Amino acid sequence: MAKVKSILSEALQIQLATELIRLDARLQVLESETQLSRERLLKLYKELKHKSPPKGMLPFSTDWFMTWQPNIHSSLFVNIYQTLIKSTDIEDIEAIIKAYKMYLEQINHLGLPEVLSLTRAWRLVKFFDAGMLTTTECKECEGRFVVHTFELVNDYVCGLCHMPSRAGKTRLSAADRFFNEEAGVEV
Amino acid sequence: MRNARLLDEIRETNLSYLLLAQQLIREDLAEATFRLGISEEVADLIDQLTTAQVLRIASSNMLMCRFRFDDEVVWNLLTSHTKDRTVSGMHAAIIMSGKATSTAA
Repeated sequence: MAKVKSILSEALQIQLATELIRLDARLQVLESETQLSRERLLKLYKELKHKSPPKGMLPFSTDWFMTWQPNIHSSLFVNIYQTLIKSTDIEDIEAIIKAYKMYLEQINHLGLPEVLSLTRAWRLVKFFDAGMLTTTECKECEGRFVVHTFELVNDYVCGLCHMPSRAGKTRLSAADRFFNEEAGVEV
Repeated sequence: MRNARLLDEIRETNLSYLLLAQQLIREDLAEATFRLGISEEVADLIDQLTTAQVLRIASSNMLMCRFRFDDEVVWNLLTSHTKDRTVSGMHAAIIMSGKATSTAA
């Protein structure tokens, strides 16, 4: 990894890393989005959170984004993110942070659990960049929803226009399960 | 009399709208384009307005803001009483955020 030369740019990187850590980003996100060394990131993480970052691999499957509740949450995030990218020329990671904050705003306002973590949101954007996921228009409500690129169909109907009968029944338990899995060794 | 009061109210609404827009733009340009549903160019224009200009623009018989969503689906979701309110709220949020700047683009 390239060493950071300029003090000013290092300050900016630390600022970015701090913001990401505050939003509960995993270390892998920080390593990928900043040029700070792993040691410095670890130190910063401990200083901010007073504990070691969770270990283990990041969730890597695109399938999670297809299940009912995560699909709706990630669709909201992606719509905000893509609007920001289209209407301004900010960096991707900046757009992810801003879109994620506005996603949280909306979710908290509606009283819904925070299903999508920042790490998942970041991952989602990477899957879009890699062409593995994309959005498609629901033929009924014309909203755009996250789908597998290889599953693109002309007559897509979203999970909100046609709700599966058991949808939302396990909302809280699903969110709990998700957070445990995401938090890793966190107590 | 009634007319004069309506004009006053339009001016006040315009004024608070323009001032809020300026505040949003100055706090965070990218976020403001999303919240206001305007392009970066329009945001820059509004940002540059002086207080005197804002006051002059506000004094009009027309509103400077307009309904952003002309989509029947959105309105039905926002006013729906039949379905679970959080679900329809979420549904509306997805559709609205996707159309956030389409009118300005």
